Amino acid sequence: MKVIKVSSLVKNYGNTKAVRDISFSVSKGEIFGIVGPNGAGKTTTIECMIGLKKPSSGSITVLEINPSKQRSDLFERIGVQLQEASYQNKIKVWELCQMYSSIYKNPIDYEVLLEKLDIADKRNSYYGNLSGGQKQKISILLALLHNPEIVFLDELTTGLDPKSRRTMWEYIKKLKADGRTVILTTHYMEEAEQLCDELCIVDQGKIVAIGSVAEVIDSCSLDIVTSFNSENEDLETLISSVDHVKGVERLNGTYNVYCSNERAISLIICLMEERKVSYTNLNITRPTLEDAYIKLTGNVIKEDGNV
Amino acid sequence: MSRLLAVTKVEIKLFFRNFYSVFFGFVFPVGMLLLFGSIYGNEPSEFMNGYGSMDYSVPAYSCMVLAVTGLMSLPLTIADYRDRKILKRLMASPVHPSQLLMSQLIVNLLMTMVGIFLLIFLGVVLYNVKFMGSLLPMLLAFLLTTLSIFSIGLLIAGLMPNGKAVNLVSYLIYFPMLFLSGATFPMQMLPDSVQTVAKFLPLTYGVRLMQGVWLGNDLSGYGLEIIVLVGILVVCSSLALSLFKWE
Repeated sequence: MKVIKVSSLVKNYGNTKAVRDISFSVSKGEIFGIVGPNGAGKTTTIECMIGLKKPSSGSITVLEINPSKQRSDLFERIGVQLQEASYQNKIKVWELCQMYSSIYKNPIDYEVLLEKLDIADKRNSYYGNLSGGQKQKISILLALLHNPEIVFLDELTTGLDPKSRRTMWEYIKKLKADGRTVILTTHYMEEAEQLCDELCIVDQGKIVAIGSVAEVIDSCSLDIVTSFNSENEDLETLISSVDHVKGVERLNGTYNVYCSNERAISLIICLMEERKVSYTNLNITRPTLEDAYIKLTGNVIKEDGNV
Repeated sequence: MSRLLAVTKVEIKLFFRNFYSVFFGFVFPVGMLLLFGSIYGNEPSEFMNGYGSMDYSVPAYSCMVLAVTGLMSLPLTIADYRDRKILKRLMASPVHPSQLLMSQLIVNLLMTMVGIFLLIFLGVVLYNVKFMGSLLPMLLAFLLTTLSIFSIGLLIAGLMPNGKAVNLVSYLIYFPMLFLSGATFPMQMLPDSVQTVAKFLPLTYGVRLMQGVWLGNDLSGYGLEIIVLVGILVVCSSLALSLFKWE
């Protein structure tokens, strides 16, 4: 069942075309990623989906609601974490939870959520004194207070240290396990690969690839790299003759073999066993989402999300 | 309604956790009362048209309180909430961020009343300050002056692009009004040139109105003051409401 449908979404700011014709749909219970560098149109897309921005053209339905028309109905059913949004510095965590609980018709007990997110020990701390990771936990908590069916997370892990980022991944997986649909944006390819059931890669306001992680990687027909060390200096011709091998190179005693199909790997190994060629440090590197992204856009995204 | 109440309860706590609001809103006016009270006392004097110095000063210092809440606390808090996307976060909830602004208005109005009651209480207890007016006109004068000054604060917060600009403009408007409008120093003490400048400061009219009604004069004697304050209230609040930048 599709819970979100976005078709031909276009959003212009004056002469700037932030989103140019984006379409996708999201099934109930999946984690859907909108992946790309800063300025690709991720946040604009999400803000159109939750009705904070009005699309220039195109249509969006979320839980069969038109987000720009039935705001308060929608926000009773979806939870939102906004990029860079924050709360009053001098407000205590429990006061913030209580205030946000009062906003919703049927809030769940925030004490339970504080426990679930391992942040109950901070309930009397000022929001402004929390670490980046703790602040993001609070933003997840406030997005879950009304037990929403869909959770939108915009750049949840940006700026967090690797350990906190991994903690967030666990919470996102739990959201899915609870039966919620999750829409997230990220510029971390590793994060998208770890979490997303379906994703679209956006670049300059357009979708350049869409599907499951495996489908997106497969669509790029990238090579699998098999490497090993061997004293034997003339394996290049032998290995090149194997089916699906596209290239072989030898650097300082290490062979790198580029294969278009993983069946080539077992053929190579069999061949070397047959010829009694000794090899060590056998290593198979499959293409990652990052490789796919680079192939698709010709760009590399830096840690800060810029290209 | 329960939402507004919940938000307002928290915002009251936050007001007390803000050093500047508490210091300039409560401590500073009380300090002025104690300082000048101990210097001049409250003996009736000819210089003061037969009233005591503190009889004049309590309504004037009250204007000091409402200038802090209206021109500093209100716009700076709103600007901070907008800069840090606190308002935007509320837009992604079933309530509109205008509820937060509404609660800011209520909190600052309440805190103004608290600050003024504190002044009156200390004035009466320490210097035997006398209230010579009647309650209803006093309440009207207070509400008109306060809402008029608040509308200026709201306009600053609504128009300026960011917190830094709001800060700058607030200080530029607040300090001259604080010292030149008669709120801190009696107008009679100020040189003529300053008194001319004071005519262009909205708070001057608030101070005159508050003092006059406090001392028992009829509202009808303050036509100019009332027209100026109502004019400011109507113009500033309608501009603020129509031009307010939520992001």
